[in-house]
Amino acid sequence: MLQEESDLSLVIAQIVQKLKGSSLYAQLERQAWASLQRPEIKLESLKEDIKEYFKISGWEKKLQNAVYSELSVFPSPSHPAAPPEHLKEPLVYMRKAQGSWEKRILKSLNSMCTELSIPLARKRPVGEQKELLNKWNEMGTDEPDLSLFRPVYAPKDFLEKEFFVELGLTTGQLGIDDSTQVPPELFENEHVRIGQKVLAEQDSAAAQQYIRQGSPTALRAELWALILNISSQPEDILYYEQLKTNVIQHDLLVDSLIYKDVKLTASNDDYYFVFEDYLYQVLLCFSRDTSVLGHFAYNSASPPKSYIRGKLGLEEYAVFYPPNGVIPFHGFSMYVAPLCFLYHEPSKLYQIFREMYVRFFFRLHSISSHPSGIVSLCLLFETLLQTYLPQLFYHLREIGAQPLRISFKWMVRAFSGYLATDQLLLLWDRILGYNSLEILAVLAAAVFAFRAVNLMEVTSLAAAEAVLADLSTLKVMPLLQIFLFATVT
Amino acid sequence: MAGKVKWVTDIEKSVLINNFEKRGWVQVTENEDWNFYWMSVQTIRNVFSVETGYRLSDDQIVNHFPNHYELTRKDLMVKNIKRYRKELEKEGSPLAEKDENGKYLYLDFVPVTYMLPADYNLFVEEFRKSPSSTWIMKPCGKAQGKGIFLINKLSQIKKWSRDSKTSSFVSQSTKEAYVISLYINNPLLIGGRKFDLRLYVLVSTYRPLRCYMYKLGFCRFCTVKYTPSTSELDNMFVHLTNVAIQKHGEDYNHIHGGKWTVNNLRLYLESTRGKEVTSKLFDEIHWIIVQSLKAVAVNASPSLTSSTANDRILKYNLINDTLNIAVPNGEIPDCKWNKSPPKEVLGNYEILYDEELAQGDGADRELRSRPGQSLGPKGGRSRDSGRTVLTTWK
Repeated sequence: MLQEESDLSLVIAQIVQKLKGSSLYAQLERQAWASLQRPEIKLESLKEDIKEYFKISGWEKKLQNAVYSELSVFPSPSHPAAPPEHLKEPLVYMRKAQGSWEKRILKSLNSMCTELSIPLARKRPVGEQKELLNKWNEMGTDEPDLSLFRPVYAPKDFLEKEFFVELGLTTGQLGIDDSTQVPPELFENEHVRIGQKVLAEQDSAAAQQYIRQGSPTALRAELWALILNISSQPEDILYYEQLKTNVIQHDLLVDSLIYKDVKLTASNDDYYFVFEDYLYQVLLCFSRDTSVLGHFAYNSASPPKSYIRGKLGLEEYAVFYPPNGVIPFHGFSMYVAPLCFLYHEPSKLYQIFREMYVRFFFRLHSISSHPSGIVSLCLLFETLLQTYLPQLFYHLREIGAQPLRISFKWMVRAFSGYLATDQLLLLWDRILGYNSLEILAVLAAAVFAFRAVNLMEVTSLAAAEAVLADLSTLKVMPLLQIFLFATVT
Repeated sequence: MAGKVKWVTDIEKSVLINNFEKRGWVQVTENEDWNFYWMSVQTIRNVFSVETGYRLSDDQIVNHFPNHYELTRKDLMVKNIKRYRKELEKEGSPLAEKDENGKYLYLDFVPVTYMLPADYNLFVEEFRKSPSSTWIMKPCGKAQGKGIFLINKLSQIKKWSRDSKTSSFVSQSTKEAYVISLYINNPLLIGGRKFDLRLYVLVSTYRPLRCYMYKLGFCRFCTVKYTPSTSELDNMFVHLTNVAIQKHGEDYNHIHGGKWTVNNLRLYLESTRGKEVTSKLFDEIHWIIVQSLKAVAVNASPSLTSSTANDRILKYNLINDTLNIAVPNGEIPDCKWNKSPPKEVLGNYEILYDEELAQGDGADRELRSRPGQSLGPKGGRSRDSGRTVLTTWK
């Protein structure tokens, strides 16, 4: 009992510490001071009165949402003597695997740098800055020569790593305890009504619970913002503008990687091509956002370090590269693209993406034992397939069409670019609702189940890939439902 | 050969021919006995011109109504709508109601438009009222974006002025007839780009009016960001969305051709602007279509050239569904057979308006304007079935 209590107070202390630096804290302080003017605040019962005032005015709710937000990425309690790397990743062999993966990426990046004789970063001449500022809203029209650049890595590179990791972990907790229902007409009106109420209450936890059953299109943008605890404050907009200024002033090598990625993926997509310019505006700023470094505390990965020219190895001259520590890979822009259907104001779009990244997406390309990490998702996928469709599983392996080879890319991209947008958004509703990416593995298995009949007849990897090439007509929720609740062992 | 539909066409497009062949129809020449003739615009003109006096027999169908050009030609379309509105007004129909400024409440869907050279002086008067406005010039008889340009100074259209040195008015040949409309320079932009809607509507009969809208319409985007700035008035890639024009732009992407399905548009608008506004938008679009049809006829030449693979599939299916409705049961047409086709054959079409059904619903389904609100043809329609039965309007 005592242990639990002290654990709890430790958690509380840590969260308080975290929140002390936030703008919410400053606002609460200001509000508290201002409230002294109010007649209902009496000196004798100062603490209670202020607390009451906070409750009525909605500030308590904001604090609750912030705490809730911190909790969703809070690492599980660990031994007090555990070193910080254990918070990032408790398993040694996982850490080693992530370590060697990182070395490989860095090597790739560095060699590209030397081959092309392009610096990792350089300050732009004034003329170039002016030009870029003018073009800020239509960077899509730029045609820089990108032929020599190649993506630092693509999902398939990552996959090969996975073959070595045989984990004994069982990831049976699907995290889907509630029944997920496709809203029929009868259900829909009531559901919308409840959604509006949740928004009016501005309660993150309630929103998260609500969205497990999917979000009505008209409410989705607001609901996601509430769950991710994003509220466009003036300082957020200012921060985004500052990032934009950084982009204008300095050119980074990763910028070219971003351009190339957008041109190759989003620009050719039936749904997302319209938003090409927004993608640059988000991703270029993202690379320069040092606040993203904070997530490495609970990410098994570590940001690459670079040294000022001539000062190799001297820690005082070390900087993270890129500034946000995240090297974009082929397909990275597809994490942002679907969000453009919800937010058309650049700074808000930016904030939402950043939060989605540091809560979810980063787990899809770092090696860890976390249940939402890509490794666990792979294991979950294979386990599900093997358990519920053993015939199919063995047939595919026999013909050399390892199921994971096909589904891996879907999961790494959280299905973006593979599903129709409306379906993708319904899927991401559940990711937010359950605060987990496991549903990606379940959906992948469900897709195989759905096309099982055709897959049983193929005799090669190429043919299997052809059967699963086009997911654009799939309806996500019925597939998931059938797989989860209609499958009999 | 009793029972096999005989077809002719003078348009060599696979999306058409494949559809005819898959039904087992027999190809014949135009001089033989035919049942179904898919005609090019030129042929229609010849076949139905006053001189030839051609009459279709009871077992023949063609793909355009003889008066289709009443809506294809921009000047005729404008005339028809103006005339239709006046007629309704005369009848005292509630549809023709106006607000305190004299604007039509329900029929104000054509921007201020004049015919040139005929209405030149009227146009000048209007132009002078707001001299900083932009106007768009469109040749009456052309399509696919040809010959369109924007002006913001009277000098740019001097040649249409009726002031001529000769004393008698020399009538201009129809080739030079243009319509000039007030340009809407604050269009809805997505991703900073202008777009238009390509919707397919099938009219199977005029009396009673029976029309269908293809559910898989699409939006066509400009490749270049929109700017109302006057320096870009000449840049057609900014202002015109026709694929024929955009295809030649540097940024035109051949994989997707700059298009979105109407469903994507709906999703985007609902997500960013809310459901009510979006539903209202689509209702009003449907309303405009039905009213325009009532005013007259259908656009002559939707492009049957496919620009991308997806496009080819779309058009093939479109023709397929069209034929299923127009030639029911694949049997030889009979002009006395006038029933509504059953729901199953509609394919991707949905009923836009069926006059018979609408009238059968009783005389009390008059247009009811909402108290205090003057927008939209809602009447007695219930909100959530908005997508299916649109036949309750009058």
